[in-house]
Amino acid sequence: MEAHLTGFFPRSEELVRITRAFERHKLGRSELEQATQNDAVHLLELQKKASFDYVVDGQLNWQDHFRPFSQIFSGINPSGLTRWYDNNTFYKQPIITEKVRYLGTGLEEYFRYDLIPVKTAKKAILPGPYTFAHSSQRPAYTSLADLVNDLAHALRETCRRLVEHGYSYFQFDEPALTFHKANNDELTIAKNAFEILGNIPNAKTCLETYFGDAAPILDSLLEFKTNCIGIDLYATSLESIQDYKFDKELACGCIDGRNSLLETPTDLAKVLHKTKTITDKISICPNCDLEFLPYTVAEKKIQLLSETKNRVKL
Amino acid sequence: MKLFPVQEIGSLPKAPWQIAYLRNDHPTDADLQHLSKWAKVSSFETETQTRSVLSSPKTKDTERTLREYSSLFGLRYLESAGLDIVYDGEANRIEMYEHAIRNSNGFEFYGHVRSFDNRYYRKAACVTKAGFRKPYHLDEFNYVKAHTKRKIKVPITGPYTLADWSFNEFYQKRLAKKYSDFRKLKHEAKRELVLDIGKEIIRPNLKALVDAGADFIQVDEPALTTKPDEVNFFVEAFNESTAGINCKLSVHICYSDYRNLYPHIMELKNCSQLALEFANRGSETHPYDMLNLLIEFGDRREIGLGVSDVHTDTIEEPELIRDRIKYASKVLDDPSRIYVNPDCGLRTRSWDVAYAKLCNIVKGAEMARQTT
Repeated sequence: MEAHLTGFFPRSEELVRITRAFERHKLGRSELEQATQNDAVHLLELQKKASFDYVVDGQLNWQDHFRPFSQIFSGINPSGLTRWYDNNTFYKQPIITEKVRYLGTGLEEYFRYDLIPVKTAKKAILPGPYTFAHSSQRPAYTSLADLVNDLAHALRETCRRLVEHGYSYFQFDEPALTFHKANNDELTIAKNAFEILGNIPNAKTCLETYFGDAAPILDSLLEFKTNCIGIDLYATSLESIQDYKFDKELACGCIDGRNSLLETPTDLAKVLHKTKTITDKISICPNCDLEFLPYTVAEKKIQLLSETKNRVKL
Repeated sequence: MKLFPVQEIGSLPKAPWQIAYLRNDHPTDADLQHLSKWAKVSSFETETQTRSVLSSPKTKDTERTLREYSSLFGLRYLESAGLDIVYDGEANRIEMYEHAIRNSNGFEFYGHVRSFDNRYYRKAACVTKAGFRKPYHLDEFNYVKAHTKRKIKVPITGPYTLADWSFNEFYQKRLAKKYSDFRKLKHEAKRELVLDIGKEIIRPNLKALVDAGADFIQVDEPALTTKPDEVNFFVEAFNESTAGINCKLSVHICYSDYRNLYPHIMELKNCSQLALEFANRGSETHPYDMLNLLIEFGDRREIGLGVSDVHTDTIEEPELIRDRIKYASKVLDDPSRIYVNPDCGLRTRSWDVAYAKLCNIVKGAEMARQTT
């Protein structure tokens, strides 16, 4: 059973202090970059110690899920602050002002492959094309489908370049599908995008859903071209998905990234044994980014994930 | 009260000399220049005494005195910008969430969590039943009341936001055996936390303020529409915590989809004003079309109209502010219901930017008055 993280990791108290000092012009960019790098290296060590099967860099310098793409793609400009689903977290809503194309600017700034040892399996986490389009204003596009399609092509090109840097696992976050209960037309648009994304040579892909119940749309999701589907088990009940025939891996979001209460390995074992009745292909992970937790709590959740991976034999 | 009264929403940045002194640092020359500059601009009458405190070793007495001067400094700043309704810029509150939680019972802080970019708040978990410790805004209110002739509005963070921004360990554990579905457990535990904060923390605070003479209190609920199926928790908590409280009450909400408030907030019994953010949503007047929601639901309350975006350094011209006020007046078909304010507290802006924004709001409101 594989284990890995699913998104942004919180910044340490030291990095919080340094980003604040940077904002107040009391420290320079080099100190900020060094502190960010120190946090990323520490996170990589934590994941290695936890024996995770893929490692992530924690996305510690991403301002939000979309901002890096105002550099990496053409046509994207950040605008007003907007709530990130039902969290006390905000993102700058992208405004799509021209056709979206891959540019590649800043790729190395936002994907820290330089810090990850060459032989370590690397996982990159990107916004899914449907959620990206759904979260944006799109004056340059009359059709949502066209924008999703262009984003899928640009994301695919991003992944293709990242494969060259050793990435072998791409997670595409699609909370918009579950949180907003996508209808059939919207699911078709998203499915078409995964026809483009699901076919990245030498890489595994995961469609990650969170913040919403996946059960009502699971029938459709199982038809998407992707190796794995991530489900938030704090928004979806296992009972409601028990009758589906999974021919894909199920990434069990069984560690709650929005709750400071620590799950117990016993409870997690129960969940995983139940999941085993749905499919043999299971991996375990948090249900969403861990950045909604303070750093020390997130560290404990990593340890818990590791203990569960080691203790539960399916 | 004149047409289009101008009010603030809450926070101002902390004065650099205040931060330095409270952190046991020596205020720098730049910090002292800041004090001089704004003392002149805002006719701050205790600059000399403030300098004297800043040059003395920190003791309990000097800290208390400096906190009072900081409060006065914020108050004079807002008065000199020309606001009709003032407070002290929350000069002595750590932050809207942390100040309330740190002065209440039942919570434990775990560390910082990011809200956006490089902005964070220190997040606590509710680990035992939420409870009242002390009236945590009373001293600042009494001080402001003694030092201004203008109308005062006291901002206080509301029960829903305090609950939503906390982890809810105590109530989830308490109800764990009752609900097997985690979603149901989380929902019910949240309701209990919101209601307890309203009843046990907010109500005694409101009561203490009103007993001390407060006649206008703004309940800040930036989190209110985060989970639309929980808006009714706030309504229940607000009604319970304000029952019999004899005071004008406003509710401030921002960065939200206001459609999620309706129809629930029509059930708020003691709220006569909604102070809302709009300017962040676009550069012109179209965000104010959202006011049609009030027409649609027959909501006749006053509106605190957000006319200046607090997340950008762009200074909105008075003409733009006038146009926004006039446009909102037209949509509501009743200018007398409009109060004018920035979108939210100005603490993330510099003192220069915040002041320029406030002065232009005052000018814009005056221009709107002259043409109404």
